[in-house]
Amino acid sequence: MTPAISATGLSRKYYDQVALDDVHLTIGARTITGLLGRNGAGKTTLLRILAGQEFPSSGSVRVFGSAPAENQNVLRRLVLVREDQAYPDFQGYPNFKVSHALRAASFCYPNWDAHLASSLLTDFGLRSNKAIKSLSRGQRSALGITIGLAARAEVTLFDEPYAGLDAVARQIFYDRLLADYADFPRTVLLSTHLIDEAAALFENVVVIDQGRVVLDTAADGLRGMATTVSGPVLAVNSFTEGRPVWERRGLGSQASVVMVGQVSGEDRERARSLGLDLTPLSLQQLVVRASAGPAGAGSLTGRTSA
Amino acid sequence: MSGMAGLDEGGPLFAQVADRLAGEIADGGLAEGERVPSTNELAAFYRINPATAAKGINVLADDGLIEKRRGIGMFVTEGARARLLARRRAEFTERYVEPLLTEATRLGIDPGELIALIKDTSSERGGVPV
Amino acid sequence: MIKVARYHLVMPGMFLGLPWAILAGVFAVNVARGGDHFRGGAVVIFGMFFVTGVQRVGRWLPFGLALGATRRSYYAGTALLGVSMSLVSGLVITGLQAIERATGGWGLSITFFRVPYLLNGPWYATWLTSFVGLSALFVYGMWYGIVNRRWGTLGLLAFVAVQALVVLAVTFAYTRSSGGPLLLRPAPGHPATLSALDLTGVIAALTVVCLAGGQATIRRVTV
Repeated sequence: MTPAISATGLSRKYYDQVALDDVHLTIGARTITGLLGRNGAGKTTLLRILAGQEFPSSGSVRVFGSAPAENQNVLRRLVLVREDQAYPDFQGYPNFKVSHALRAASFCYPNWDAHLASSLLTDFGLRSNKAIKSLSRGQRSALGITIGLAARAEVTLFDEPYAGLDAVARQIFYDRLLADYADFPRTVLLSTHLIDEAAALFENVVVIDQGRVVLDTAADGLRGMATTVSGPVLAVNSFTEGRPVWERRGLGSQASVVMVGQVSGEDRERARSLGLDLTPLSLQQLVVRASAGPAGAGSLTGRTSA
Repeated sequence: MSGMAGLDEGGPLFAQVADRLAGEIADGGLAEGERVPSTNELAAFYRINPATAAKGINVLADDGLIEKRRGIGMFVTEGARARLLARRRAEFTERYVEPLLTEATRLGIDPGELIALIKDTSSERGGVPV
Repeated sequence: MIKVARYHLVMPGMFLGLPWAILAGVFAVNVARGGDHFRGGAVVIFGMFFVTGVQRVGRWLPFGLALGATRRSYYAGTALLGVSMSLVSGLVITGLQAIERATGGWGLSITFFRVPYLLNGPWYATWLTSFVGLSALFVYGMWYGIVNRRWGTLGLLAFVAVQALVVLAVTFAYTRSSGGPLLLRPAPGHPATLSALDLTGVIAALTVVCLAGGQATIRRVTV
């Protein structure tokens, strides 16, 4: 089956820096994938190239099997929600309003759902007759999210769409995304640095660091792969004996060790009896580790059951 | 990871979903012949990806604990509860009873003494007399 | 392309009405100042079309691309809309001019719509000239908008500089070859004049240049 999105040897270079370096990627249709990585890692560039808004320097990109740039057939079925989207707003003219933006979107996207759009506006507390130039940052983000979801585009790309939105509003976004995805499955690529908040949404995660893909795997494959074991030094050492370890820390008679490998029921019992605390590493912590350079990424890929 | 209604980062989410459903069946919360929540319902409840929820359901289906009825949904199969309880017993035996016996033997306590010990401890606690 | 046109007309009042509102404003000032203060002041509308052309790219392009328009179709759709507007506006100007003539300058001897040299002839000439002129300025404005988007302020300056050089070169070459500057009105001792209709032809040619140039420039623009 043709993947919805694929990139081969994709690179994007500017005069003074390399934004993307030989990226190979495949994203299956009707999945939600998290695009993770530090600021400036190249996530935005990748998304813009997928949406035909930027051009690759070399390599190829395919969406629905063809290159997206200047391709009506692809662009009609794709939407990119950017945090810095510019709308036609200006001084002193009759204002470009939220309602205008939605109307324009309604004739550009064949699957546009006006009911969903207006219910999202209500959810975010956004009035449709407000001028876009008078919106706060959070409200602009809410508008972008509204357009992105109501478009029901087969490929929906989100580039950190939550600037200025508080935790409650972000949760509304995640909930609405999941709900609409359940009703209308589509290919979603969500770039974020608030990983733990959105972690449960992802079926797969792709981690980008310095323009390269360092991890591309099923999210569930990562979960539970490393655990922090802490407590009295001797107990910790005995518990983690013979198991691979990433990190060791100690303070006086206490120690904290990051141990690799799934923790079984027996392990938990034993830890309890030894008075040890077991805390699994969150997806965010795992991603941070993967972004810590080739060694970090290698230690994860070696253990993943993708 | 707030809002996941009790799922954590300790292991694959699909496995946790499967475990919870199995637990419900074993505890009798989900009776045999009763409809199991759909993939979308589970996804909405746990706030997880529907594909993950589906994977969890498939684990139970592959195990024969739930079955698909065309057009209606997934239902708990006959005898599922009994099987799960039997499995729990087996796990209990392996995890607790075997080591107990091993340790008792090591300490020179024979099975008859062991049973008496258990009875005494149980009544001290105010439990059900064996 | 149609989508692009609809996109621009999402606020119909602005695109269609504003130039006229400005024109009406200037006209009103004209009247208020008593009589024929701005002779042929209708030329203001040409400036408006230029500004609109710049804006429709400068301001409206990013969201247009976000909505999935290709650059080519954005250019074509916008240009088509501008040219259609020019056609209609030209007709309106012609109509107003006729009324002005018939009423002897709106009863006040105003020559607002009878622009000396440019729009002073028969009705079909007026329509043609204003149509071509408005189209030209719209498309010219679009090109400025695109250059700004693609290469920023520096690019804009370079764009203007190149044009200035071209104009100088052409004028120089012409003066050398025909022994005198190009004039619009006949004057004693000068050989060549350019009628309004000829000028229209030249402008039409320049419009085509702008269309080609704009299309080429927009191809790799990013927002």
